[in-house]
Amino acid sequence: MSRADTVGIVGAGRFGTALGSVLARAGRRVLIWSRDADVVRAIESERACPRLPEAPLPAPLDATGDPKRLATEARLLVMAVSSTNVRDRARELGEHLDGSHIVVHAVGALSSPNNSPRSSASADSLHFGRVSEVLQEGLPTLKIGVIAGPALPADLVLGEYSSMVVASAFDEVVAESRRLLNAPPVLRVYGSKDLAGVELASALVGAYTVALGLCDGLGMGIGPRAVLITRAVAEASRLGAAGGAQPRTFAGLAGLGNLLVRATERSADYQLGRRLAEGIVTADNQRTEGARAAIAGAELAKQLRVRTPVLTGVAAVLAGKAEPRDTASLLGDSVATEE
Amino acid sequence: MASDRPVREAENRLERFNTDRERLLAEVERRVVARVVASSKPGTDQSLEYVLNDVAFNEIRRLEASKSKNGALDRWRDLSRRLLAMSEAEKESELRELVRFYGKDVVGNFDPRVYKFATGIGPSILGALFSPMTSFKEGLAALGNLDARIQPDGEIDLARACAERGTLIVTPTHSSNMDSPAIGFGLLRAHLPPTTYGAGKNLFTNPFISFFMRNLGAYRVDRRLRFELYKDVLKEYSTVLLEHGYHSLFFPGGTRNRSNIIEKHLKLGLLGTSVTAYKNLVREGMPNKRLYIVPATINYRLVLEAETLIDDYLAETGKSRFIITDDEFSRVGRMVEFFRKILAHEGSVIVRFGRPYDPFGNDITDDGESIDRAGRIVDPASFVRGANGEVSDDDQRDAEYTRALGRRLAGVYPRLTVFHSTHLLARVIYDELCRRGHTRDIYKLLRLAQGECTVPVADAIAGVDRLRARIAATPAYGAEHPGYVQQSSQDKVADAVKGLSTFHTRTIVERTGDNLRVGDIKLLYYYQNRTAHIPEEGHA
Repeated sequence: MSRADTVGIVGAGRFGTALGSVLARAGRRVLIWSRDADVVRAIESERACPRLPEAPLPAPLDATGDPKRLATEARLLVMAVSSTNVRDRARELGEHLDGSHIVVHAVGALSSPNNSPRSSASADSLHFGRVSEVLQEGLPTLKIGVIAGPALPADLVLGEYSSMVVASAFDEVVAESRRLLNAPPVLRVYGSKDLAGVELASALVGAYTVALGLCDGLGMGIGPRAVLITRAVAEASRLGAAGGAQPRTFAGLAGLGNLLVRATERSADYQLGRRLAEGIVTADNQRTEGARAAIAGAELAKQLRVRTPVLTGVAAVLAGKAEPRDTASLLGDSVATEE
Repeated sequence: MASDRPVREAENRLERFNTDRERLLAEVERRVVARVVASSKPGTDQSLEYVLNDVAFNEIRRLEASKSKNGALDRWRDLSRRLLAMSEAEKESELRELVRFYGKDVVGNFDPRVYKFATGIGPSILGALFSPMTSFKEGLAALGNLDARIQPDGEIDLARACAERGTLIVTPTHSSNMDSPAIGFGLLRAHLPPTTYGAGKNLFTNPFISFFMRNLGAYRVDRRLRFELYKDVLKEYSTVLLEHGYHSLFFPGGTRNRSNIIEKHLKLGLLGTSVTAYKNLVREGMPNKRLYIVPATINYRLVLEAETLIDDYLAETGKSRFIITDDEFSRVGRMVEFFRKILAHEGSVIVRFGRPYDPFGNDITDDGESIDRAGRIVDPASFVRGANGEVSDDDQRDAEYTRALGRRLAGVYPRLTVFHSTHLLARVIYDELCRRGHTRDIYKLLRLAQGECTVPVADAIAGVDRLRARIAATPAYGAEHPGYVQQSSQDKVADAVKGLSTFHTRTIVERTGDNLRVGDIKLLYYYQNRTAHIPEEGHA
């Protein structure tokens, strides 16, 4: 299969492996790059990834420890690494890419606005440490996008129906991603131009998952839970709109869709919320993606002067500035009078 | 690659322009016709009939609205009538004729004799021309070194080296109709080659300027013609010029900046031709014929048309006045004043060049190689290639690249801004008025300022002192005029008052005893706007 028809996946974690599995089973050529030689060996010889052993990895899928090979054999690359590794992997990979590559990341994270690498570089787009901005700093290509949505690795492996949305300012990124990542009926990929919105929604979902864990841990009923979800989507939409994103993006796959599937015991963010409800406050509290997103999101809201009671509440609990039990403020905006 | 050696290959490529002209026009005609015909679909908005009708409709509407019709209407009415009965071949023939017609309307001319005149003894003679005969000596003395009043600085060596290696696209800020001659002399003094550029057709109404523009490579842009075919011809002409190595100049801000705030939102139409031209060069196997986009700011101590521009900006209805034809530029008397008073001031215009970018907004090395944000050399040709190395056409992608380039330009303009004393004093006084009025809203200030506004001279000097210190500490804000960095703030205020009280018909600021009296808040606002990207004191 040609370079144009090969999907490169950066990272052999749970999502990268599951995505590779779905695509390989759909007959697509996949090349996974992992820096872990044992993982590469396991995929190549045992057709299984230690991080998601239940995922079948049929032959069209290969693994490599060589980023140059990845760049040579695939034009479309999916960056599926943790947020803490994005910058380093981008720099490493950037040595081998050029302006023709397309890079789509699947990292639902947000860093503090103060850490945004190019916070003053652009006058017309939202800058709050979006992963695409980090990638722009490390990669030579400008063709960058994001993929997000309620597609859990376990569901992908089991062949459950899943959908995701891919967003980019470049139509070509969306079109190529849809052409190569769409694998119905298991994985359907929709398109969007709202790169900032999808990135923000995807990242804030982690923060709201913490809030839902907290809510469930406190034993609140399904009514308050529904209010929390609705208010979370509303405030995320306000925050996004203030920053130039499309408000409706937050009610889509990357926002609401993602939130509905994350609030389970499998999620580290959800577990964190439950621990907080039990009064367990440790230094590890701020180490999940959702916790980081809550703090960064609350800071962004302050800068943009947008009221975000849920985000602000979660950030305050995480920082030890509010009692976990005193979470009524999460459920709504006492100042607002209209929905 | 810094060097003061004379520019070799890049030196005035426009000298061969007249020989090339017919070939360039033919190329424009061939490409535009081929593209329109290839994309035409009968019965849709892309049919030849639709394209021709669009031209006829817009021309009829324009001519009906104008005072002088000169019988030109008949031509378009006739076309409109004949359209329905035309065969596809006849439509194509008509299309070809129209493309040729608009191509000839756009195309420029380069007369080496005029260039020699304009750049040699021209400035002196030009000065004399602009001086009233009763003060010939005074005028000659003031204008003998017209071009010396325009100082280029910044990344000149790098721009010069890029001009040798590839083709320059100079992209300055745009404040005045004097920008074209100002940057022309700025390039000359920087030993950079002359450029061709698109000038609004309305500028050709000034007989003096028109003569020089017509013969120094300017091509005419008629902003009244808003139909697609005309835009196609214009863009193709620019593309072909770039492909043939003609250094070009675009004002990415579009029309003159009404407010004097450094441009943030750029119009990227012609700038986008840089991506198209480079893509075509790559397709033709010439990826090393590079294009370099050179950001520049043109910084005037005083702006000829400031009064008209700021009135237009502030007037509610003015925002729609896209083409101003009755401003100071069209009044010869005001231009004479401009040359005599404004340009008599040493270094009254600073043209500052920044580091060039490639057409995709990438930085470049001192050797002219494109580099990514991490500082790695990257092949610019790869940006227009597909998965298998083939050059791919994608208008949306190219527009996105141009937007990225526009963001880089808008981001660097503040840093390239040079502040004259007039800007600094205007900012300090405006800040004081805002503090007193508890608002920065110009409309509210205009309503509040019923009585006399005065600021103690001592306060103004102290304010200028602090502003200068903030600018010196933050290069991203821009820089003071390099020739007056050592000047005391006291002298700077005196110099600014001299400028702000003498040239414009309305006194902006004048000294009355120990105070500075504000005579015109609108113009004060206009001049302070050049510093608008600098946050208020204490709000950094």
